[in-house]
Amino acid sequence: MKSAAKYALAALALAAALAPVYWMVTISIKRDIDQFAFPPLWFHFQPTWQHYIESFGDGSFGRYLWNSTVVAAVSTLAAMLAGVPAAYGLARVRWPGDWSNKIGFWILSTRMLPPIVTIVPMFLMMRQVGLLNSRAGLVVIYTAFNLPFVVWMMQGFFREVPSELEEAAMMDGDSRMGALVRVVLPVVRPGLAATTVFCLIVAWNEFLFALILTQTGASMTLPVGIASRVTQYEIKWGAMSAAGVVAMAPVLAFAALSQRYLVRGLSLGAVKG
Amino acid sequence: MTATMRRAWPGVPWVAPAVLLLLALSIYPLIYSVKVSLTGPGGFTLANYTRLAQDQLFLRALLQTLAYTAVALAIEFALGLVLALLVDSLVHGRAFFRAGLLAPMLLPPVVVAVIWRLIYNPQFGVLNGTLRTAGFDTSRLTWTSGEQSALLSVILVDVWEWTPFLFLLLSAGLQALPQEPIEAARMDGATGWQMFRDIVAPLLKPAMMLAILLRSMDLVRIFDQIFILTQGGPGFATETMSLYIYRTAFRFFNFGYAAAMSFLGLALTVVFARSLVKLMRTAR
Amino acid sequence: MRAWVSAAAVVLLAACGRTASSPALTIAINAGVEGDALKTAANEWAERNGTRVEIVELPYANLFEKELLDLESRTGAYDVIMMDDPWFPRLVDKGNLAPLERQPDEDFLTSCLDVCREPYRTGTFYALPYVGNSQLFFCRKDLLDKQGLGPPATWDEVLGAAKKVGAAEKMYGYVMRAAPGNAVVTDFMPLYWAFGAEMFDGNGQPVVASKEAIESVRFMLELGKYSPPGYTGFNADEVSAHLLQSTAAMSINWPAWIAAMDDPARSKVVGKIAFTQMPSARRKGVAELGAWLLAIPGASRNKVRAMEFLIWATAAAQMRQAALRGNPPTRRSVFMDAALRARFRAFPAQLASLETARPRPRTPQWNEIENAFGIYLSQANAGSISPEDALARAEQEIAAIVRRGK
Repeated sequence: MKSAAKYALAALALAAALAPVYWMVTISIKRDIDQFAFPPLWFHFQPTWQHYIESFGDGSFGRYLWNSTVVAAVSTLAAMLAGVPAAYGLARVRWPGDWSNKIGFWILSTRMLPPIVTIVPMFLMMRQVGLLNSRAGLVVIYTAFNLPFVVWMMQGFFREVPSELEEAAMMDGDSRMGALVRVVLPVVRPGLAATTVFCLIVAWNEFLFALILTQTGASMTLPVGIASRVTQYEIKWGAMSAAGVVAMAPVLAFAALSQRYLVRGLSLGAVKG
Repeated sequence: MTATMRRAWPGVPWVAPAVLLLLALSIYPLIYSVKVSLTGPGGFTLANYTRLAQDQLFLRALLQTLAYTAVALAIEFALGLVLALLVDSLVHGRAFFRAGLLAPMLLPPVVVAVIWRLIYNPQFGVLNGTLRTAGFDTSRLTWTSGEQSALLSVILVDVWEWTPFLFLLLSAGLQALPQEPIEAARMDGATGWQMFRDIVAPLLKPAMMLAILLRSMDLVRIFDQIFILTQGGPGFATETMSLYIYRTAFRFFNFGYAAAMSFLGLALTVVFARSLVKLMRTAR
Repeated sequence: MRAWVSAAAVVLLAACGRTASSPALTIAINAGVEGDALKTAANEWAERNGTRVEIVELPYANLFEKELLDLESRTGAYDVIMMDDPWFPRLVDKGNLAPLERQPDEDFLTSCLDVCREPYRTGTFYALPYVGNSQLFFCRKDLLDKQGLGPPATWDEVLGAAKKVGAAEKMYGYVMRAAPGNAVVTDFMPLYWAFGAEMFDGNGQPVVASKEAIESVRFMLELGKYSPPGYTGFNADEVSAHLLQSTAAMSINWPAWIAAMDDPARSKVVGKIAFTQMPSARRKGVAELGAWLLAIPGASRNKVRAMEFLIWATAAAQMRQAALRGNPPTRRSVFMDAALRARFRAFPAQLASLETARPRPRTPQWNEIENAFGIYLSQANAGSISPEDALARAEQEIAAIVRRGK
């Protein structure tokens, strides 16, 4: 196929991928009258910040944003803290028989569980320990969500690092843990970056558990807040879009910044896995 | 302690935190769920499972979920493959296109659903608006509000959102391909199609299988987008298993029955995944 | 590097903890027109008392789920909840709501108070009515006058007028709210009742597949022919949009939309819509009640303050304020207020409708029943099954639901 045609097609695909996103951004900055204008206004309209002010001015969306941020950050940290050593242990330690694969597969299989299966007992458990309607409760759950992925991804990266590296460090008197931190981790930095970004995105985007486990602004996250604006009557499009833009901006920004790592990390994990 | 356990000991502290956390948060709830599904007002009962066997609505939701999965997967796979081949063959700007094409799958599904709700609105949405500008009559195009078109409309949203995922995995697979066989074939004068069919495709199989496995597991439990777009309607047209279970649990407050249904769902997912994995293994 | 990570971790973990300042009251409100008045009232009350009120706004279906979950699990997340009257039997179940200590005064309309009592009409009060919602028939008086017709008094007249006006004005004679679930059932009940059909017999058994019921569904299909395409997915905002844009001439609707009809910024038909009583058929037309009630969960930790708020918000003075903001009142004195009557031309019609309004069947399983009924009505509307089939299946399903509930 001719080169120009290829680029044209690729550009078309790109437009298809980004146009809807762009449209939502325009709705969030259009005045109410312009939103229903016919023909639809893609570029020629007067922008306004009123929807953002409306959404975040009355306080509730600001709180949802904070909740989402805290929960995503802490759960990612926890998942990495528990998952990286586990991945290392599975990759390095000489396990008897097939244990390494079995444990790895078991950890991965927990990801297969449809959330709806565990949601009711999870709700009851959280209520029992007083973590209902709390950020801490969501952190615990999201950590469990992201753990299998962290283990799976990092295992692949660790296996790529020749074990001579730590062995040299350990011969110089370092403990295994020390060797891991000082010598190995710097080498797998791209993998760490990709895994971290992915965990953040998963926690940030999560909806079902947040829907069930949160009840008030004390813990409601951005996706739940947005869903609560989708009503039967009078859909408040401007406000909804403003919230949507804020919800997707960090994700896109993060992904753009770490795009190189993300693609490499996901593909490596995928191909090796 | 047996000899095996002693040999495994060095590894245990490394994996212990992860394993314990997962045990508490995945296995325990699972066991509890089983208990709930077998409990009725009078103690142990199989009533939830017998009801499940006769529930026409659940069957319909299940079939719709499978249809949704099959159609969405097929389209996403085909499109993803085409895009992967396309972008891979570009000389300049590969990274640029790749980055841009990834955007939809990174967005919160709730936001994706909101975007498409805006687009699909029959009266004020930009889709019908644009079609009307081009002269089409949109009075019958009700997208997610029409009983016949709702399921396809919702599938379209999934395609938009997740084709990038398949694109990514297949792209990675393409990048990891050994170049020698391809070069050799090109020098032998093979056409693009022949190269694809005889060399690229077979080598790409593992990546393709993985992509299909991962995506189908997520498709079967689809919830977020449908919850926002149609809540399962109009009528029952876009009802999926997850949505039906959710409603049984939280609107009709019947946790026992919901638990029974989720088990069936889980069993199906496991069977499905296992057969796919088996297919993967034999394909290699 | 390590120090940074640990410091960040500590800060974030601390941030995980519960917020220090708890609100004086947490109120769960319907995200929509009905909830707006209460929202304003709540914020006013907060200012007056120098306290913080947290308002949790949720869409209709989600609101019910969250309230049900909170009540059944006794989590005490909400101190005041807003509920649609059909939810009352389910939410009051098992003592999950706190009973009112005082009897409400006589100024409240009886029909509104009746649904706040368990058992219906005779028992203890568990809620106070805030939004006096009952259906009205919206029709384009100007277009009907042109055809020499008055506002339709029977459903046959509605059909006739729909045909005539639709043909003459090249618009849709009628617009139906038929989105599955709550929407279609709510819109359909007056028609159902007018044809003499009932949902349950004296023993609580469903009689949904009766001869009268089938007739009413057939009529609904007939009327649907004069409705804009896609009506099978319409909810209140689509219905109202058609009236406001002058693309449809008649519909059943709720008082919340009266203000919009006469608002020049939104309506092309200012002053042209007449608000009349429900048309009759075999039986006299009766409007469906859809009042919104305020109640206090039994597990709330702020019951006293919640009760104060309830009494304050439903007092005549406050209700008058809310009425000025567009909220349909539930007190007779507010309906008879001269200044308000001058301002809201539909008040007499609203009062008449509300006084005789009929609630939907009082059963804790209404949600499930409505869901099932709605699915089959929807299928009948779409033409995928016949009316007889639809009602037969609906009856079967509802009977199963009732059996399970025993």
